[in-house]
Amino acid sequence: MIVSRLQVEDAQLDSPLGRTSPVAKLAIAIVWLVGLALTLHPVPPLILAGVALAAGLALGGIPPLQLGRTLAPVWLAAVAIGVSNMVFSMANGDPTTATLLRLGPVRIAEPAFIAGVGIMLRVAAIAAVGGVFALTTDSTRLADALVQQARVPARFAYGALAAYGAIPRFAEDLATLRQARRIRGLRAGWHPRLFVGLLVLAIRHADRMAVAMDARAFGSGARTPYRQVRWTWMDAAVGTGAVAILAIALLAGR
Amino acid sequence: MGLDVEPGTVLLIVGPSGSGKSTLALTAAGLIPGQIPATVEGALTLDGDDATTLGPVGVAARVGLVLQDPGAQLVMERVEDEVAFGLENRAWPREAIRARVPQVLDEVGLAGTERARSRRLSGGQQQRLAVAGALAPRPGLLVLDEPTANLDEQGSTALIATLSAIRQAKAATIVLIEHQVDLAWPLADMVLALDATGRPIDVGKPKNVLRRSADAMRGAGIWLPGENAAQRLGTPRDPGDVLVRSEGVRFGYDRGEPVVRDLTFRAAGGERIALVGPNGAGKSTLGRLLVGLLRPDHGKVELAGRDPARMPAAALARHAGYVFQEPERQFLTQTVGDEVRLGLTAQERGHVDELMSRLGLPLDRFEGRSPYRLSGGEGRRLSLACILVRRPEVLVLDEPTFGQDRLGYEGLLAILDGHLDQGACLIAATHDRRFVRDVAGRVVEMEAGWIVRDEPMTAAEDVA
Repeated sequence: MIVSRLQVEDAQLDSPLGRTSPVAKLAIAIVWLVGLALTLHPVPPLILAGVALAAGLALGGIPPLQLGRTLAPVWLAAVAIGVSNMVFSMANGDPTTATLLRLGPVRIAEPAFIAGVGIMLRVAAIAAVGGVFALTTDSTRLADALVQQARVPARFAYGALAAYGAIPRFAEDLATLRQARRIRGLRAGWHPRLFVGLLVLAIRHADRMAVAMDARAFGSGARTPYRQVRWTWMDAAVGTGAVAILAIALLAGR
Repeated sequence: MGLDVEPGTVLLIVGPSGSGKSTLALTAAGLIPGQIPATVEGALTLDGDDATTLGPVGVAARVGLVLQDPGAQLVMERVEDEVAFGLENRAWPREAIRARVPQVLDEVGLAGTERARSRRLSGGQQQRLAVAGALAPRPGLLVLDEPTANLDEQGSTALIATLSAIRQAKAATIVLIEHQVDLAWPLADMVLALDATGRPIDVGKPKNVLRRSADAMRGAGIWLPGENAAQRLGTPRDPGDVLVRSEGVRFGYDRGEPVVRDLTFRAAGGERIALVGPNGAGKSTLGRLLVGLLRPDHGKVELAGRDPARMPAAALARHAGYVFQEPERQFLTQTVGDEVRLGLTAQERGHVDELMSRLGLPLDRFEGRSPYRLSGGEGRRLSLACILVRRPEVLVLDEPTFGQDRLGYEGLLAILDGHLDQGACLIAATHDRRFVRDVAGRVVEMEAGWIVRDEPMTAAEDVA
């Protein structure tokens, strides 16, 4: 289950990347994403994905197996997206383009191939950056940093945190509802009633959570952060390094 | 009703299922009206101020609330953040928070767990963490609504010990709603007994209430301390054919660490088996494997001569029944009437009216109600009714008696008795000692996925 794969251990959180401000990492991810959108060349995403993975393993202390298991499904999807872009590209119908491959009625033109590979690599790079972010970031610290460093309203940040914490519970809700249907003699599978049940449970859980949070004076005014998140040299170093790498990658792809 | 609670004392509220105990608790915690729409008559004062005009913030400053389900009230990922949460919201100075967090954790017996993730704690520890979170801002009043309902015996005992220490230290006034009377009554300085309509039967010192109103409370279906049910299940018949068996069954969620390890187990017609053991021992998982709701990683299960995990749902439902621990997670429709009739044959529908009346949920009153808006005890009985009405020969129940008042409990026992007489077998995972004593003919104890004890009730009772 995806939720258990995203379990972050203390060793990852105490690593250099783990101690980097989540807001800094988020900013880097966004800057890299914008950078990737500027080019169709296959080299920059390759470099960025490679650097993200190497940093995750070396600076983030992510166990290689966990990184692989987290990224495998998204990378498979990236390949599927790339291939379908190749096969269904408009360039394949254009007789002036060079033919790269012909399989029966399917013709793949050179520009279609390049575009498909480019898309595939970009999706893979985005997944690598996102995976490394998720696997080195403590969700509580993310909320703390969003509130203290990015001035996100506390009500939103901690509400989202509570909702994130409830995801494993929804997976259990769904499993139980499906079992409940089966033991009542109803066909297994995806009945619309399941979603109604799931929605009811989610709303009830949210209600209870809101009551529990209000009972503890949440949202009642000024708040003292228990854990302070401050900008550090680590953030500056990681940020500078990330910008430099993006520049190198974009130059390499000119 | 009118009632004053002295500072530093414990008020225990008892009453039958659906008498409005939880509503009273939420009112005391300042969440009704306000967070939850309702009409309120009369007044609730905290330290002389009207709670309804204090507003949620004012009330939250003076009242700590602990609910039944630890999973629905722990907000943060780690223990220390959870305790600090209420203090952050009240804008305590950071140094004061740092000093207070370890102190409160120590008070509830969780010292040294600051960095632990609360979801990896046991249910009992989670509930004590909820108490710590509520207690941290030093509220004048601590309200607890059935805090032990989801806990095993060890967890319940530790929680009650924590409350007892709070009372000793006069750290807060406590309002406690609790069905485990033998644990709760010794703790109480005052007892408030409610009847089924929510009117007070009596209020006062525990021994005076017991002396004056024992009969009235019994009549309302309230459990009294040290008292047994009026009836037990009749003597078991000789075991019949084996109805369900497992051979070397192993199972782990997501192919992880096994929760059930190489279990070989069989149950014959007429047997009543209590599955006991701490939270997380694998009781519920074993139950789901036996009725084919989970498929073992290794080994095999046989029910009615077939592998239940491969049976079509309709066939499975004819042979086996399973009642889940949390009623609301198994409701599939929007009204009580639809819920209990879901998927029944015409013949089975004929039993619905009588069964619902015997379980205290007569359809003339409950037909159109939402299953989600029942009290805890009523929801439990509806979930039982949905399965009992089919009269399955293998009946697996997960915590069937939690939240049950005396009438609900005795109604359930009578129905089980009739059902088992016809040759069905009962397997019940339970923390309820009373239920084990009143019902079980055989006790199977699990620990960390293994069966560590399996013996007839008479011998097990001697050990306990």
